[in-house]
Amino acid sequence: MTSELRGAPYSVEVSARRIRHYRYVEERMTRTMAGWIALTPELPAKLVLGRHVWDCAQHADAWGKRLPELRSPAQRSEPANDGVVRFMALVEAPDGPDQTAERLVSVYRVLKPHVLAVYERHLASANRVYEPPTIRILERCIADERRHVVAATDVLDRLIATDTARARVDNRERDLMHALEEAGGIAGDGDARRLSMEHPTGAASEMKIDDGRFEPSRLDERLRETIEAVGRAAAAGDASVLEEFVVADARETLVAAYAGANAAAIVACARIGEYRIVKLRLTGRSGGPMLQLQCRPVPDGWRVADARWVGEAPAL
Amino acid sequence: MDRPIAYDKLAREDRFVRMRAREVAELRVEQGLPAFPDLTTTESLRERVHGILVGELQAMEGAGRTVYDFPDTPWEFTMDMARQVWDESRHVEIYLGLLEHLDGTVGDFPETTILWRCACAEDAAARVAGVNRGLEGLACDVFTQLIHVAATLGDPVIERAVDFVLADEITHVRMGSRWLNELTRGDPERRQRAIDFQQSIDERFNLGGVRHGGGREEVGISIARDARRLAGFTDEEIDRLVQSTQRSPVY
Repeated sequence: MTSELRGAPYSVEVSARRIRHYRYVEERMTRTMAGWIALTPELPAKLVLGRHVWDCAQHADAWGKRLPELRSPAQRSEPANDGVVRFMALVEAPDGPDQTAERLVSVYRVLKPHVLAVYERHLASANRVYEPPTIRILERCIADERRHVVAATDVLDRLIATDTARARVDNRERDLMHALEEAGGIAGDGDARRLSMEHPTGAASEMKIDDGRFEPSRLDERLRETIEAVGRAAAAGDASVLEEFVVADARETLVAAYAGANAAAIVACARIGEYRIVKLRLTGRSGGPMLQLQCRPVPDGWRVADARWVGEAPAL
Repeated sequence: MDRPIAYDKLAREDRFVRMRAREVAELRVEQGLPAFPDLTTTESLRERVHGILVGELQAMEGAGRTVYDFPDTPWEFTMDMARQVWDESRHVEIYLGLLEHLDGTVGDFPETTILWRCACAEDAAARVAGVNRGLEGLACDVFTQLIHVAATLGDPVIERAVDFVLADEITHVRMGSRWLNELTRGDPERRQRAIDFQQSIDERFNLGGVRHGGGREEVGISIARDARRLAGFTDEEIDRLVQSTQRSPVY
């Protein structure tokens, strides 16, 4: 029994400080992921973040509740050093709608695999006689973090299907690892290793993946033909076709929209009774602006009753 | 990341069509349809389920923003909001499943951003009053009716799934009641502003004038007194809501 009491690397005070460092990271990760949900367009990515926010909050809470048992005030967060603060700020930074891959890489390829490595190392060295309360929290956190990384891998793989996207996130990963190494890891003890889970296997993803694209087959064929004819007429300035298919108030917007556009792809079609709201993404124009057309059935087909920009109209 | 973000930063896949609720209602009425789907046809049931789906999505996003936007609120408040994020993410998945069950797909109907706009209130107390008590209270009414319609149609899938969502919504209203009180303790003016915000929501979002007091067979959407009592609304609050729906314009 005496031998079992030996071999714990951390004193009560050091354990408490370390747990405050863990709590800082878990709390900040909770808030960051929660804040990103609204800024993330892709539904699977939104849902993966939504599912995991609560787990991370519970990790922070569990660490916070453990603190008074170690002679430290409850629910206190404390970064290990300024480098950790900078690292977490870097994790949080990508908040644009086109930076979902960067967000997921930050959390699921860098932060969580590193947190996992730190927790695993702590678990391996924790004393089995007098640290079971800490061990239980570590075991729970490790199981959750592993599940999170697996769940996000499928979602992330879809987002980085091209070489350009992969290069972008690789750069991001390098920058983050550099910042993490400078901080000496989240515990500030010089260990910035990550658990290797780049291609996790053996665990089924919890996410049902949906590619997020509009199904063109759901669009009425006649409506599609009308929109294409209107697009060609707007690009060519064919007033007679526009008069036939588009109400007067919408013609100017359409002509301006198609000027300089290479193509227009139908990306959405919503129903309001018999009316259809068709959304087009115009390529070849800066920012890929979108146009929304309100289409109404008429005896011989469809007529465009309104055309407007989605968001702000681009500078013409 | 900004704290808070502008409401027009809400990010969506291209397949969503976003419109103002008022305009959608006007375009429906123009075609002789009720301003709000009335659940008398499969298409209207599908449209209602799609509307709830995007509402759940916005509720998840709104609760997430509350976790991020208010780091100085009590930790337990953050925990409740983080829990709500998870609940709403499950609700999104439930309604995605129900939409598929009804042969619908995401983007079949326009998305309106009523809930999200309320979730952008700058004060945490106003958010919980407006979203958790106002709009999640409204959800109690809408879901109770949906469960009733599903039972009448003999659709146990919708009936069971929505009943579980309703149970969560009651919990969220309770959270709202708790935090409205705790966040405004000792600050009666802040409390009054939050309550005024909630009441403005109750009065404005009257679902096309179909929400009223009365039995489920008599009115379009019956104010769910039992669910609301369970959620912590007082009889006085419920009576005031019934009165306000009687004077609300068609949304």
